[in-house]
Amino acid sequence: MFHEGLYVVGVKPARMAAIELDGVTKRFGGVTALQSVDLTVEEGEIFGFLGPNGAGKSTCINILLDFVRPTEGSVRVLDKDAYEGSTEIRERTGVLPEGYDVYDRLTGYQHLEFAIESKQADDDPDELLDRVGLSPEEGARKAGGYSKGMAQRLILAMALVDEPDLLILDEPTTGLDPNGARLLRDIVREENERGATVFFSSHILSQVEAVCDTVGILNEGELIAKDSVEELRQTETGDTRLTVTLGGDDAETAREAVSGLDTVTSATADGNRLVVECDDDAKMGVLTAIEDAGITVEDFEAAEPSLEDLFAAYTDADSTEASR
Amino acid sequence: MSAEDNPFDGVGDTVRGADEWLNTTFGWYAVAKKEFQDALRSKGFWVLAILFTALFIRPVAAELYFSPATNQARSQLGMQLLISRYYLNLVSFLLPIVAIFAGYAAISKEHTSGSIKVLLSLPHSRREVIIGKIVGRCAVVGVPLLISFGLTALFLVVSKLTFKPGMFTMWAALSLLFTLVIVTVAVSISGAVLRNIYSLMASIVFYLEITFVWNLQVNAIAGWLAENLGFAPAVRWQLAFVAKLFNPSQAYKTIVNSQLSQGANGARMARWSMFSQPSDRMETICTGALNGNATVQRSLFGNQTVCQDAGQSLPLWLSDPAVLGYMAAWLVLAGAISYYTFDRYDL
Repeated sequence: MFHEGLYVVGVKPARMAAIELDGVTKRFGGVTALQSVDLTVEEGEIFGFLGPNGAGKSTCINILLDFVRPTEGSVRVLDKDAYEGSTEIRERTGVLPEGYDVYDRLTGYQHLEFAIESKQADDDPDELLDRVGLSPEEGARKAGGYSKGMAQRLILAMALVDEPDLLILDEPTTGLDPNGARLLRDIVREENERGATVFFSSHILSQVEAVCDTVGILNEGELIAKDSVEELRQTETGDTRLTVTLGGDDAETAREAVSGLDTVTSATADGNRLVVECDDDAKMGVLTAIEDAGITVEDFEAAEPSLEDLFAAYTDADSTEASR
Repeated sequence: MSAEDNPFDGVGDTVRGADEWLNTTFGWYAVAKKEFQDALRSKGFWVLAILFTALFIRPVAAELYFSPATNQARSQLGMQLLISRYYLNLVSFLLPIVAIFAGYAAISKEHTSGSIKVLLSLPHSRREVIIGKIVGRCAVVGVPLLISFGLTALFLVVSKLTFKPGMFTMWAALSLLFTLVIVTVAVSISGAVLRNIYSLMASIVFYLEITFVWNLQVNAIAGWLAENLGFAPAVRWQLAFVAKLFNPSQAYKTIVNSQLSQGANGARMARWSMFSQPSDRMETICTGALNGNATVQRSLFGNQTVCQDAGQSLPLWLSDPAVLGYMAAWLVLAGAISYYTFDRYDL
């Protein structure tokens, strides 16, 4: 499209942004739900939107879909203004919203036909049902009798109609069993390989880690970090907390034994228990070191870093940088 | 059986073709169709059709099948009497209630339950949602109503009463239009307030207003204006006419009445009978607003004042087509106000 000479040598042409938020603020009455959020999601990315419940994730998604209008700032989706071009955006977007309800009296098939007609597409409802793991018999039933998980699968199938360029999934694993969650991850990867950009919001860190390339972290209406998933993992290292229950009372010896390991950040003895902060993949090494010191390990428990810990890590990093 | 042998195969193709054409031509079509499919599966829809039919047939059954007193004169006049004395009131009192219950939750319920997020995740603009909802809910009330009109017509044909198809069709079409106006208002309120309870309350207020209060208010306001602003009597009644005719319930009744009388002076008499004032005022209404001539006629029932043709036609804005226009204006006005508010909401 552009003349080659326009590019400065050595600078890669930027990929087009699928989603662009520029200084977006949203206030409901006196409550600020989003505070000057700047966010870019590149085309072809699987973007994880992470934050605790009430952080403003859904408000942000509602703004992308023009369910809610921002108080300040500009929003572009698929290179269209989120308000002016909303219908065009939604023609090319598949959405699994949060806090929705199905039409109780319509069957699964009728839901899909409604989506297919609305998008003027020609998808086969049976194929869509099959992809999300619903049988034709289930599809012929009224959606009012569906479990939460089945409803979630149905709406996901509606989102897949007409091969969307952008998939917006708001807390998509809500109500899904582990099999359903795995199926969802597979679908996300398949859609991404086909070329779709995926915007995946969740309050569960491990879900976002499992599929996403890039992660944005939202807390109390502010975007506190945006990183690749590798960088995110590094930030959280050291935050895995291993609590080991020892056979004897000699926790001090055990503490000395593990303190020497360079994968261990800190170790605290507490009666017959030892609390070790270490790299996530160093857990076995720690346990081996304790046993090598002649102390039996009765039990151990590894606490994944919580979202709060992650926020703390990012917030601390920010303040350290600022004080430098 | 091969496809060529099936005589209904072409019909299926035509229906499919029409369905596809409508869907690609009108953005609201998918919403309206979903709305209708949803209602088809509810029992209430079929209860409506049966209820309407029972109510329309009841007086005919009582009077014309079992009453031995029915003579030829009564049979001849029966159709007009049936419509003006019974059907007109039945439709204007009862159908708005049915229409309101069919329409008041159309958008607010989807908002409360959250299904509106599914609806608006699909590429529908909010304008298309309002139009699709209005069209869909109108079909939900209109189709059982048409079915019951059809059954009533059949019933009348085999009764002792002389069936006048033109008159029946006229009444049925106007009743349908009136009902659809009320459905449109109810759906529009639903989109404008987004809460079921507010929507129901506002719709009930609207019903009470058009059914019981409107005319009294118009008379009071026009009277007050005439006294305080010194309007000429003719202007006072002209204003009152327009204000009254903007009441869809009044508009419906007066058009049906004027069509029933079938005479050249039918529309004038129908408008005139919208008022019941002392005789001097009735004369002013006849001469000042209706371009007519009030005269006393002697009849079997004593002296009757009528508003006769005085060589001048009824003002255009009081004619039947104009009144029809006032009714239709509600469809556009209600939809537009609803869109204007619904479009501004955060969902």
